[in-house]
Amino acid sequence: MVTIIDPHIKRDDNYKIHKEATSNGYYVKNKDGQDYDGWCWPGSSGWLDFTNPEIRKYWASKFALDEYEGSTESLFTWNDMNEPSVFNGPEVTMHKDAKHFLDWEHRDVHNVYGLYQQMSTAQGQIQRSTKNERPFVLSRAFFSGSQRWGAVWTGDNTGEWAHLKISMPMLLSLNLVGITFSGADVGGFFKNPDAELLTRWYQAGAYQPFLRAHAHLDTRRREPWLQPEENMKAIREAIRARYSLLPYWYTLFYVGEIRGGPIMKPLWVDFPADKATFTDEDSYMIGSALLVHPVTDAGSSGVNVYFPGKTVWYDVDTYTVYPGGMTHYIPVTLNKIPVFQKGGTIIPRKNRIRRASNLGRFDPYTLVICLDPQGSAEGDLYIDDYHTFRYRQGEYIYRKFTFENKKLKNRNIDYKGTYKTTSWLEQVVIVGLQNKPTHVEVTGSSSERKSLDHSYIPETKVLVIRRPGVNIGEDWTISLQ
Amino acid sequence: MAAMKRHVLYIVRLKRYLSSYLGTILILVSLIGSSVRAEVGRPRGVAISKSSFYKPGDTFTCLDNSAVLPYSQVNDDYCDCKDGTDEPGTSACPNGFFHCTNAGHKPMYIPSSRVGDSICDCCDGTDEYSGEVICDNTCKELGRAAKEERERKKQLLGEGYEIRKQYCEQGKTAKEEKRSRLEQLQYDKVQSETIRNDMEALKNQAEIPEKEAKDKHQQAWEAEKASRQANREIDQITSAFKELDKNGDQFMSKEELQLHPEMDIDNNTVVSDTEAKEHLEDNDQVDFDTFKDKVWPNIKDIYRSPEPVAEEPPEGSTVEPEESPPVDPEMEADNDKDLDEEDDDDEEDDRKDERGEEGSPPAQEEEKMPDYDEETKKLIEDAALSRANFDEADKRFRDTEKELNDINSFLNMDLGPDEVFYPLKDQCYEFTDREYIYKLCPFDQASQRPKSGGTETNLGRWGHWAGPENNKYENMKFEKGLNCWNGPDRSVLVTLHCGTNNEIVSVAEPNRCEYTFNFNTPAVCIDTTPEEPHDEHDEL
Repeated sequence: MVTIIDPHIKRDDNYKIHKEATSNGYYVKNKDGQDYDGWCWPGSSGWLDFTNPEIRKYWASKFALDEYEGSTESLFTWNDMNEPSVFNGPEVTMHKDAKHFLDWEHRDVHNVYGLYQQMSTAQGQIQRSTKNERPFVLSRAFFSGSQRWGAVWTGDNTGEWAHLKISMPMLLSLNLVGITFSGADVGGFFKNPDAELLTRWYQAGAYQPFLRAHAHLDTRRREPWLQPEENMKAIREAIRARYSLLPYWYTLFYVGEIRGGPIMKPLWVDFPADKATFTDEDSYMIGSALLVHPVTDAGSSGVNVYFPGKTVWYDVDTYTVYPGGMTHYIPVTLNKIPVFQKGGTIIPRKNRIRRASNLGRFDPYTLVICLDPQGSAEGDLYIDDYHTFRYRQGEYIYRKFTFENKKLKNRNIDYKGTYKTTSWLEQVVIVGLQNKPTHVEVTGSSSERKSLDHSYIPETKVLVIRRPGVNIGEDWTISLQ
Repeated sequence: MAAMKRHVLYIVRLKRYLSSYLGTILILVSLIGSSVRAEVGRPRGVAISKSSFYKPGDTFTCLDNSAVLPYSQVNDDYCDCKDGTDEPGTSACPNGFFHCTNAGHKPMYIPSSRVGDSICDCCDGTDEYSGEVICDNTCKELGRAAKEERERKKQLLGEGYEIRKQYCEQGKTAKEEKRSRLEQLQYDKVQSETIRNDMEALKNQAEIPEKEAKDKHQQAWEAEKASRQANREIDQITSAFKELDKNGDQFMSKEELQLHPEMDIDNNTVVSDTEAKEHLEDNDQVDFDTFKDKVWPNIKDIYRSPEPVAEEPPEGSTVEPEESPPVDPEMEADNDKDLDEEDDDDEEDDRKDERGEEGSPPAQEEEKMPDYDEETKKLIEDAALSRANFDEADKRFRDTEKELNDINSFLNMDLGPDEVFYPLKDQCYEFTDREYIYKLCPFDQASQRPKSGGTETNLGRWGHWAGPENNKYENMKFEKGLNCWNGPDRSVLVTLHCGTNNEIVSVAEPNRCEYTFNFNTPAVCIDTTPEEPHDEHDEL
């Protein structure tokens, strides 16, 4: 559960935080040295000076379970209005001559104010935990470095097709500068999106790093189950598609933490020599394996998708193959999201439906292998306990899958990782396999060979290998003959 | 008695089931480690009613016949059937279902996605068997609570039903009463209409001679007045001529005219020859007759006599004893009386008198039309009586019509099956929450007002019954309430629940300006659910 905590503090002597802030001098001051007083949701408000490390410590301490009444370790935070938003201030923010820690004027520290609050909140959640739990803090204001503290979103947008369209260049820009865990309000904050727009927005948001549906208080209710049946089903499918890709997203975020780099990328990042990608804002990559081109027009029956590179691309629903270097017309219906896996990649998925991602932490994997024109592919997978910092002490798994010469291998590529999981491999799908194999077998660490049932669809050149049953965290090889 | 028998039967079934269950505990012991069978002869997650499809053997056929599999692939944690039926006990199939027996409570199917997710979905905990989490068996308590709830509901239903019966009685009686009254009224309407028409005819009849007589009197008076007026004018003209004719030669000359400065036309304070001759119709002088016919019309508005002319009372008229402002006393006197045609006539006469005297010297005395003669008075009296009779008959007719219409509207009201909602009509119910007092008047309107006092806001007027197709009386819709700025007109959807008292139990506003009320009433205390099945043991 996530609750909202804004930086403005109600000037009210019955409010503990206000009393503490006043008596300790924690509020940002105005140019005359008094507590800065501005207007916000609760009326007359003060703002804690998050640029001061003492005050950040104070704020963090407020998240202790015995301080924050009613909170538990499952309660997380959304820091809204932290530019800060001041209704009666210039450009609806704090006066530029307000005074901060070490006598800095607001005009000098404005851009980092929100970052400091988010940081402080995240630290508060880390400190309150007795079990080494990770924090979650969503913030509206951010700066370079905010990506280390949590997620951000693009703020008060509107339920209109133009706003859906522009979410992509906005998020691509953010990803390029390091703010990877970002998204836009699905459905738009203001106004009422119609069922089709809402559906397309869920579909786009399912393939963006931070997914959240949100709406202004005065808008009509728009939960998926209140939509017409067809739309509800399409929305559910989009959410399930995202969940099934969580192992892939999770691996991307791990690599992002270690090495940096964008997770949602403009095409030219992976294909810098392909000039046709330079102006393409309608498609983007998620990692190196998925190309996504959301539908962003009302009543659309198809989209033109440019496929870059000297490789092939496979529709993730139909496995139709598209050679790179050209634009193809992709017909769409309401429930179709144009998503394509690059030839030469292996994506780990969890196809079992669960009500929450955590409930699937022991579920088995499906590997989807899309072959490049040379018949090879590779991919990686990161696993940890999904909620603590113990991965920093080596409790993780980081492995690589390779398919070449008709052999799929699972190898450990980070021996510092010592984690053990019971998750196993329930299915392998190999796309672009030219010929049906006669025999498929798996060899595990015990060198015992087990024959595997399989089925081949010649129309789409897809091989499905049934229930290898091997542990995903161990070395094994599946061979085709 | 029948209920008792069913209970006994249930216990018998249960005993048989238990004994066979106990009998296979031994077999079960030897099957430890097998995830295929959790109970007698069927795989985990399969209901007894479906166990015939899962008879152990070499093969298993998907229930939709889409494939035949080796029996070992049942519950092997891999989805092989399109319809998900090869994995009743695991989470492998996206469209599959797991059956929890839940002995002691209600058996239940849950989606396969809830098997093995570390959440205890079945009260007997059979959906979690990996060891990751241990689920307590809460079926006994839940069963007991469910039974209590069923009994409570049954009790409530029973009590409510008795009250409901009374409502139906009241409603039926009310409608019957109104129906018989309707018959009477329809007869009355015809009668009163006839009488009214008769009275109207009589009235018209009486008004003819009345009008004739009054008109005659009026005309005589007009003639009299006209002649008096003519006489007055002659006198005026005579005096004027006498005065103007300074030399008394029975001729008025232009020189004599020029003595009157008010005859100046072009405002140069001198009356020229031309101007005088213009008044005199181009004559140098005129005799009395010419003066009267041709000149007087030209100058009567501007002529000023050197001394005020004393009005000689004409012969034979009744005059106000004193000079007084012409209209007011008359008007006031008239206003005091009830306005009827007689007085209207008088007022008209007075006004006519005023107009007639605009061009004459001021302070003219009012002349009053003499009273009607006895004959005319009698006719007026008769006509007045007939008018009164008509009015009375008309009113009676209209009242009858109104009552008739009201009763028809009432009879057309949808008061539910057997008019059960009749007692709610003309009642209002209130509910207070944090900020507001809500009021619901069925078949009329809904509103809210602030607890601390303030104006009432209309949330909607009675619209219609709004329940689902199979039971429209589940909900009431009130609509077209006060409009919300930048939003819809306020409206209320009322959901009716069985309860022994008529009362609003909760209010919510799930969408801006669209309210929902939950309303308890005995009127809906009828059993709409099918008989609760005791269990799914239908193998007998």
